[in-house]
Amino acid sequence: MSLIDLLDAAGLTGRGGAVFPTGQKLRAAFAHRADLIVNACDGEIGTHKDALVVAEHLDELRHGAGLMARTVHWAAHRGSDTEARLLEAGLQVLSVPARYVASEESALVNHLHGGLARPMMRRAPVVAGSTSPRGRRLPPTLVLNAETVWRVSQIERFGPDWFRSFGTAAEPGPRLVTIGGRVERPGVYDTAAGIGLGDLLQAAGAIDVAAVGLSGLSGGWLLGATAWATVWSDADLAPHGLRTGTGAVHVLDRGACPLDHVARLTGFAAGESAGQCGPCMFGVPAIAEMLDRLAEGVLRPDEVRLLHQRVGLLPGRGACRFPDGVAGFAASALRTFRTDVEAHLAGGCVAARERSGATR
Amino acid sequence: MRRADRDQEVVIDRIACTAHGVCAVMSGGAIELDEFGYPIPSRVTMSRDDARQLVRACPARALLLSRPT
Repeated sequence: MSLIDLLDAAGLTGRGGAVFPTGQKLRAAFAHRADLIVNACDGEIGTHKDALVVAEHLDELRHGAGLMARTVHWAAHRGSDTEARLLEAGLQVLSVPARYVASEESALVNHLHGGLARPMMRRAPVVAGSTSPRGRRLPPTLVLNAETVWRVSQIERFGPDWFRSFGTAAEPGPRLVTIGGRVERPGVYDTAAGIGLGDLLQAAGAIDVAAVGLSGLSGGWLLGATAWATVWSDADLAPHGLRTGTGAVHVLDRGACPLDHVARLTGFAAGESAGQCGPCMFGVPAIAEMLDRLAEGVLRPDEVRLLHQRVGLLPGRGACRFPDGVAGFAASALRTFRTDVEAHLAGGCVAARERSGATR
Repeated sequence: MRRADRDQEVVIDRIACTAHGVCAVMSGGAIELDEFGYPIPSRVTMSRDDARQLVRACPARALLLSRPT
């Protein structure tokens, strides 16, 4: 069986969050004789799995990369331990600024060829070749997440049946999940789709769970009670408008105001727009400003419609999917934390009330 | 269903677009602008003549005729 056949049989999809079938991507890469960028940036908030893959499985990673391309570039955040490890191994490192959109697929390709680490407009997948902002043709480039490359190596070694012995029929294979926030044992967990989110929370030592954020800024929220009872798979998260994404799990306890947390993250997002596409450059800060005032308890109820309208106008209007992610994140927060939103619009805060209640 | 012989899709290059708003005026309402002056739809379909005219009129060269599929 060829490598592509093995990947198709295994049903491997991209572990960077986009869930695109890897065999299909590799078929295009081979057809275009594409170079490979292994993306070990862990660009999503709360995701640290690529660092672990590089730290503990570099030989397998190199083997996997070598199966897919002759020329391999290793992308890591500038100044990170991951970058140091890759340099020490004598690999060709693409040093990426530690900015949110800098490790997006087309931004990496742009950066590799001397451009800024910012996303490019695409009229075709970058695996078929792209055009730089200055109109230069850039060679076909296959960009794969580091965990994906590690899985390719494992599938070649252990076979598709081994791979499919993990996960569900629709979402097969082992997965790395990064659990953080208010848990006793934060870190990267080796698991698979189909596990109970409650089991993950328990493994990480979560006790007081008010809410759980999934997949960082490209994901959204579940209330604690729902989270304990939900299965961690795209199929089971879909009814909540969520997905497993990059595998980040972030726990908020009852002591924290979720809207405060959401406002902080959206404020961060506002500063991470590459400033290229108008709808993102102006839209994300506009939403962040309103969420900030909502958290402060000074957003007027008659402004809520405008907030929803602004969130609704973000998706599908950028060169990359960053605005789509932020819109989904904000919409999920407004939906999930409806009770908190109402309290804040009335000038109160549920979390603050519970905190003072607990001390009585 | 769109008429393949007549209809032309115009795509907006979001990076190139700098919110001049000429497309909104020229498209007769087909392209609406958001509160910041940027086109709301990312692609619109119109007759080939209109499409060519619109693409030429954009000061930022941010409108592209989509390739026939």
